[in-house]
Amino acid sequence: MTLADLAHPRQDYSYAFLDEFAKRELRRRMLKAIAIPGYQVPYASRELPIARGWGTGGLQVTLSLVGPRDTVKVIDQGADDSVNAANLRRFIARVAGVATTTDTLEATIIQSRHRFPEERLRESQVLVLQVPYPEPLMAVQPSLTLARKMHADADYALMWLDLYEQLVRHNTFTGGANYPVIVHQRYLMASSPIPRWDTPMFHQAAHLTLLSAGREKRLYAVPPYTDVRPIEFSDVYFQIEDQTGRVCAQTGAVSKFMNEVPQPDGSARYYLSDTGYAEKLLRRARGEPVEIGETYYDEAGQFYHDGFLK
Amino acid sequence: MGYVAARGGEQAIQQAEQLFQQLNGPIDAAFVRAVEQFMPYLVDRVMGEGSLYAPELAALALAQTGGDLYEAVLLLRAYRSTQPRLAYAEPIDDATTLTLRRISAAFKDIPGGQILGPTLDYSHRILRTDVLDERPTTKDEGRITSPADLDDVPESQDQPGQLASFVLRPSSLPPVAGWLRLNGLLADLPEQGPLSPADLPDVTRDPIRFPSPRAHRLQSLARADTGGVLALGYASMRGYGLAHPTVNEVRLGYADVRLRHPISGAVFSAGRIRVSQAEIVSNAADQLELGFAATLGWNEVKTIAAAMLDIEMSKPAPHPAHEEEFVLYHTEPVEASGFCIHYKLPHYVTFGSILDTIRRVQAERDMVAI
Repeated sequence: MTLADLAHPRQDYSYAFLDEFAKRELRRRMLKAIAIPGYQVPYASRELPIARGWGTGGLQVTLSLVGPRDTVKVIDQGADDSVNAANLRRFIARVAGVATTTDTLEATIIQSRHRFPEERLRESQVLVLQVPYPEPLMAVQPSLTLARKMHADADYALMWLDLYEQLVRHNTFTGGANYPVIVHQRYLMASSPIPRWDTPMFHQAAHLTLLSAGREKRLYAVPPYTDVRPIEFSDVYFQIEDQTGRVCAQTGAVSKFMNEVPQPDGSARYYLSDTGYAEKLLRRARGEPVEIGETYYDEAGQFYHDGFLK
Repeated sequence: MGYVAARGGEQAIQQAEQLFQQLNGPIDAAFVRAVEQFMPYLVDRVMGEGSLYAPELAALALAQTGGDLYEAVLLLRAYRSTQPRLAYAEPIDDATTLTLRRISAAFKDIPGGQILGPTLDYSHRILRTDVLDERPTTKDEGRITSPADLDDVPESQDQPGQLASFVLRPSSLPPVAGWLRLNGLLADLPEQGPLSPADLPDVTRDPIRFPSPRAHRLQSLARADTGGVLALGYASMRGYGLAHPTVNEVRLGYADVRLRHPISGAVFSAGRIRVSQAEIVSNAADQLELGFAATLGWNEVKTIAAAMLDIEMSKPAPHPAHEEEFVLYHTEPVEASGFCIHYKLPHYVTFGSILDTIRRVQAERDMVAI
């Protein structure tokens, strides 16, 4: 008998890449984040074999959650087929051996960069959002040490001032994606760079959202059925991106978030940003049986929580 | 022995250099050629910061310095000083550049298409330890037994530097900025009459002054230290800046160096160089503003960070780390690295003077205490 016979065969990689201690740390941080909605929980953040700032935060959360019976969907800017989404999906599939899908309804875990799916998520689903800047106060206070004190005091005066200055200068709010929200009447939270179209989808959602920033080493959560409100004044309201008149050139869909695609003649065409949803609309148009879920916005552009958008 | 001993100093420096060469091994033409062939991004970085396009000489500089980047850049810059300026090339035209890679983060698709080209962006960063073992790996789907399993890109049969499987052709890829201008989202380019390249302000011929001419700014960024530009650019990206940037376009390509024949006046190509450029757009209320940077060689990190700094430096009241003077002075690689290491020089005269001052203050303090 030799030592080699007694030893385990060499295994270079753990299930789902991260070692079990790293996963346990992440799971504990996630539980804390869920217990304190909108609060940024620091975590160690391991290096992964993709570039830092390319979704390593979201990926660490997904790898800590995923199990062999999960079905994973990965989107980037709403698209399943973009190179970054494809790359993350093949990585997760190879290290965790899970099934993957482009159908929002089939997925148990959806890792996303910069978008919610158009179809409403259910109670059993988890949305993992990749976050570049977890600190919503960064625009008014770049020092994270001072920003943490402001959070402790719930001192968001500088944010309200910034919002007011936007009105004074431009007669309208000028915030783009990553619109700041207040979670559970307490913490100001960076919504991650989702379009304002998606911001209301956090509010009283049936699913759990986990937001994770690998480079900045912070994760936070919006548990199911939590109040999440974009910052606005009682007489000047938060506004979503206007999709009026935009018709998807591929599916004919309206009142969904559209990509503007420049054309050589200087004009533009519009396409659904959510490619999984577009794919299902096309299959239905071809007469194939396909289940399409209820969407956050209806055909007339009405959001599903009446009165939430003013 | 003091390292500045007047006697024996010459012998000491000779022996120090000899020891450096012994430790790093001999170099020959074959090794330099190997560096040039197999370390193209390293060679590009040295050429960009050295502001001299000469792959063979940059490889030699790297070999000669054992890979010390700042020493290699200095070697190339010093060699550059020995070369006369014979002619001015015509401006590089995107329409005639052989573009290998052109991507825009601003739109899902763009006229001419997104061209991914050669990149490690979407590779899994797994050390190929099987290469060390010199054993071929078998790819067993689903289970990872070796790092190579994570890399399902087929091995290229091409020789390095030759791209048989990738067709290179001049592409008139319309710039994304053109579409933005057509739609009133970006200010039009200023009207400009015919320009002689020889009349451009040249930062290698005039000292830089602030506010600097745009040519000086872009030239300084082109030869700036990659790490320095990245550090200041990253500070802007992380939140110490005023811009909300989106990468409008990144291009890598081979550009012709087009010269005008001194007698016939005909324009001809003297050869091709690797060039990279980046355009960043940022939201400025009712319009977008544009930042630009380009450099010799392929260096995406540098051009993206530099284009970001171009926007920051144009702001009316930038963060102190993004003021033009601060950025351009402190990212000059030869000056910064040279001054940093000058602190190794003997300073015992100035240091003695400081000690004298300290003792004087101590004496005064003790007088008062009594």
